[in-house]
Amino acid sequence: MNIRGKTELQERLAAEYALGTLRGAARLRFERWLREDGSLRLAVARWEARLAPMTASVAPVAPPARTWGAIAKRIGRPAGRGVWDSLAFWRALALFTGGTAAALFMVVISNAPPVPVPAPAPIVLRAPSTDTQAGYVAVLSDPKTGQPVVFVSAGRDSDELWVRTLDPSIRVPEKSLELWALPKSGAPRSLGLVSGEEKGVLKLASAAETSLADVPKLAVSLEPKGGSPSGAPTGPVLFTGPCVKYW
Amino acid sequence: MAGDPLAELLAGCARKDPSSLARLYELTSAKLFGVALRILRREDWAEDVLQECYLRFWNHAGEYKAGLAAPMTWMSSIVRNRCLDWLRRPGFEVADPDDAIASATPSDVAGPLAELERAADAAAIARCLKTLEAKQRQAIALAFYDGLSHSELARHLQEPLGTVKTWVRRGLLRLKSCLETS
Repeated sequence: MNIRGKTELQERLAAEYALGTLRGAARLRFERWLREDGSLRLAVARWEARLAPMTASVAPVAPPARTWGAIAKRIGRPAGRGVWDSLAFWRALALFTGGTAAALFMVVISNAPPVPVPAPAPIVLRAPSTDTQAGYVAVLSDPKTGQPVVFVSAGRDSDELWVRTLDPSIRVPEKSLELWALPKSGAPRSLGLVSGEEKGVLKLASAAETSLADVPKLAVSLEPKGGSPSGAPTGPVLFTGPCVKYW
Repeated sequence: MAGDPLAELLAGCARKDPSSLARLYELTSAKLFGVALRILRREDWAEDVLQECYLRFWNHAGEYKAGLAAPMTWMSSIVRNRCLDWLRRPGFEVADPDDAIASATPSDVAGPLAELERAADAAAIARCLKTLEAKQRQAIALAFYDGLSHSELARHLQEPLGTVKTWVRRGLLRLKSCLETS
């Protein structure tokens, strides 16, 4: 059968192909026509574009870590288990902290679950203050994926908190991400808004040594644009991570 | 879409830059795995399909045409098509003589349909799906989300094959005219 010029039939088959109900021999035959017929390919592309927004409501499910490993192997790239396995990451961290702290840091996070994704680009961390030998670091990760998403650091004597977003896709339109200090006792204290830009600096109330002294953990919550109106977290907590002192 | 970071990553794949594929995987694999898992209902199959599809993105990224489709549309269509191919592997259909797989398909498409209304970038399709008759909407959702064929739809909805085919065809026509006027 030749369907060239038969617009209505073309359109119907393109729709059913994109929806997925065209099956069996009919599907194979249609795919053969597709290879030869540009207008048919266009009709399918239009139908795919019409229906694709339906996938917006399919719940994402993190694939097992081994899946990336298999892909990386087949494209000829040695598979790392994740950002923690990336040489670039450790090299940068060592630069940033001076070796000993990197070792301590490694101990702290070695219990983190393996990250199912690769380290896409070298992470180059900048020293938070002139004193690179002492300070606080925190890596906040997404508990659902175990993936690190925000890196926070501050020099011991500095009132500047450096916030590095490792995954720009965490930004939510019309909402703000707010960073909280979770002290050992007492209510969470806001540290400011995470811009979602790759790098940002927040101002602490006082030097990190004072303001983060009793803070074992940081968290990011989803808040209305501009931040929590009440001064306490109101939205869901998206990311958390231990805040580690080293000196 | 101009400046879509996924389009730039596909361009990176076309240049054979492994870090582009890594980043693309990082940003899209959970969504695409969700799509495959819903159709195939078996994690090991969905994993195999996902693997094949990322290799396909890697090898065929140069064929992606930004003017024709958004990157996520292009990628999710490849995943859905690959899932359907997977379901029609030789022997697969006879491997389900008791309809075990067909009957295991949950009829619950209400979840994704309701969720669709909350998804910002799906406003038009959500609104247009609502203009369909309930049976048409259910048939289209089961076909799209669960990968059911006409005969599986007929069995699942306990209606004659011809009736189900008509629902799907009319539903798609109405969906198209609604989307074109919105």
